[in-house]
Amino acid sequence: MTHYQEQLTSLLENSIEENEDIRSLRLNAFDSFKKIGFPTQKDEDWRFTNFSKIQNGYFRLSRPSDLPNNFKSPNLLNDQSYPIVIINGHYQPQLSKIPNGLSIFSGSNDFKSNPHSYAIDSNKPCSSKMKNPFYLLNTSLMNSGLSFEISENIKIEKPIEIFFYTSEIDEPIMNHPRFHFRLRKNSKATIIEHYRGQTKQSYFINTVSNFELEENAHLSHFRFQDESFHSNHTSFSGYTLNKYSNLNCNCLSIGSDLYRHNIKVDFKGPNGFARVNGLSLIDNNRHHDLNVIVNHLDNSCTSSQLFKFILSDSSTGVFNGKVIVDKDTFQTNANQTNRNLLLSPSSNMNSNPQLEIHAEDVKCSHGSTTGQIDPEALFYLRSRGISKQRAIELIVEGFAKEIFTNIKNDNFQSKINHKIGQWLESVSNHDKS
Amino acid sequence: MLIIKDLHASIDDKKILNGINLSIKPGELHAIMGRNGSGKSTLANIIAGREDYEIESGSILFNGKDLLDQSPEDRALDGIFMSFQYPVVIPGVNNTYFLKAALNSKLKHQGLKEINAVDFMSLIREKLKQVDMNEKYLSRAVNDGFSGGEKKRNEILQMLTLEPTLSILDETDSGLDIDALKIVAKGVNNFRSKERSFLAITHYQRLLDYMKPDFIHVLIDGEIVKSGNSELAKELEEKGYSWLEK
Ligand SMILES: Nc1ncnc2c1ncn2[C@@H]1O[C@H](COP(=O)(O)OP(=O)(O)O)[C@@H](O)[C@H]1O
Ligand SMILES: [Mg+2]
Repeated sequence: MTHYQEQLTSLLENSIEENEDIRSLRLNAFDSFKKIGFPTQKDEDWRFTNFSKIQNGYFRLSRPSDLPNNFKSPNLLNDQSYPIVIINGHYQPQLSKIPNGLSIFSGSNDFKSNPHSYAIDSNKPCSSKMKNPFYLLNTSLMNSGLSFEISENIKIEKPIEIFFYTSEIDEPIMNHPRFHFRLRKNSKATIIEHYRGQTKQSYFINTVSNFELEENAHLSHFRFQDESFHSNHTSFSGYTLNKYSNLNCNCLSIGSDLYRHNIKVDFKGPNGFARVNGLSLIDNNRHHDLNVIVNHLDNSCTSSQLFKFILSDSSTGVFNGKVIVDKDTFQTNANQTNRNLLLSPSSNMNSNPQLEIHAEDVKCSHGSTTGQIDPEALFYLRSRGISKQRAIELIVEGFAKEIFTNIKNDNFQSKINHKIGQWLESVSNHDKS
Repeated sequence: MLIIKDLHASIDDKKILNGINLSIKPGELHAIMGRNGSGKSTLANIIAGREDYEIESGSILFNGKDLLDQSPEDRALDGIFMSFQYPVVIPGVNNTYFLKAALNSKLKHQGLKEINAVDFMSLIREKLKQVDMNEKYLSRAVNDGFSGGEKKRNEILQMLTLEPTLSILDETDSGLDIDALKIVAKGVNNFRSKERSFLAITHYQRLLDYMKPDFIHVLIDGEIVKSGNSELAKELEEKGYSWLEK
């Protein structure tokens, strides 16, 4: 705690020109954070994850001098994308391309025009019981990130890909990127958040991304967490859906030693639609923890969640999902599914899907399964002459792919499947050695 | 081609096969008949290489090679194929992709070049016709959303594509209506040759009306209690199995 306090002090000292309101926001957020502290085993929403590596680590905020001088070009997930490149926390406009209809603002400019987006109480990121300490920490230390606005009636066909890269570094650094995405009325966009790291040094990334979809806005969001295995990554993705807006979200998480992702969807107007799918691929003794809350605050909204974990070696996973249907709402349609595949007997999964329904007129379903590779399926494939290893790969790939069937672009889909294939291959090599 | 000698097998300490002796020569079609639970699928699965069973004693030779210590994939590559009584659904694995992977695995084993996508599609379309199967089933996941009859056609489609030398058909007739049964039987009959052998498992006479077996064996409690020619099937049709029980 003292370490993070010191980091805040030095941040404030190094940015004396910063707007007074932001400075007091930072201090307020840190006060709230201090009151809560880092999550412990006693906190219901956090109890399966041990954050001591973050709590006790000496991560310092990234400095401009941390920029590598040999960075050439981003390794985009989608080669059609408009890249928005951020390296070790620093935005690189010369490597970025901004399409027509998209405006970009720095954090301080955005704060001036949209202070409410930063209020620490209005956007309670976690369940009503408790605030999210990492959200508060992000608000007090936000040192990176941008805000995006897609103008009314604008449809951007190609994806906008935020490539957030952590390069080879000598010291353990941290970044607290803060992103806001505002999709104005009738706008449409695909946004890829791509986190990638290539360093043997330990680092800490703590992101907050807030998406606001105005009336009839359509967002496809792909979040790709491909950090190095020495990273600690905590993140919050918040979506506010106004009437007739439409969200398609896919998450793929491969990297990080310790990963926690909070997702929150709020239907603030009627007739919204949200599909949120995610896949976590975990190996060695890594840990991924996913917490999803879908809040049906208005009528006639549909939400669908499908989350899968594939666990190898002695990795561990946590899924906590909650659908909340507010009282006096009607015609809610919600389903939530969590399926987990254990590739090794020493891997472990904790799954806890929940429904909290305060209304009558609802159609809700939820379910969770955790199991190993179906031996019948394995025998079936092998009996056709397919080797055991290939058969396992086919079954696991088949299990994984379902998460991304809503992605209509074939090229993009095959790129994703390629990433999954690479992971599988690396995992089957673990077994051999 | 296939020689089974005094095969005893059990599962979870429950004895299922009690000394099976069976010899199948190239070109022959053998039928195994017997009540539910008599051990027919167990025998088929043991030949195909399922690992759940405890082989207590006995041997299986395939083309002179000991089969029992080979993996299921090696048996398949050597020419053994089992049409499953209950074909398995494999979510997310595309049927075309699966068929192509299986065929290429076989071609590779034979030292041949892998087949390209275009040639594969024309090959598979021709096989689809033989089992009167709609092309739409190719783009689905393996057996996913297939009716019982479609699953059985998909099994025969795989057999025709992989061209095994020993095909075990485990109740391929059950779940098929009479028209589908005729089509499947025709597919199998056209596939018969001097080199190819078949072991057809059924408990209905009707399959054998369309596929002429050379030998019929009656399995009761894991033992072949009687063998004969097609006359035996007619006799079973009339008298049932009880007259053969001890
Ligand atoms: N995996 C298994 N576990 C336990 N018992 C089994 C298993 N497979 C088969 N059996 C038992 O073995 C006997 C023979 O089954 P099976 O070979 O399927 O007979 P059939 O195909 O002739 O109907 C039955 O009593 C069945 O319950
Ligand atoms: Mg059977």
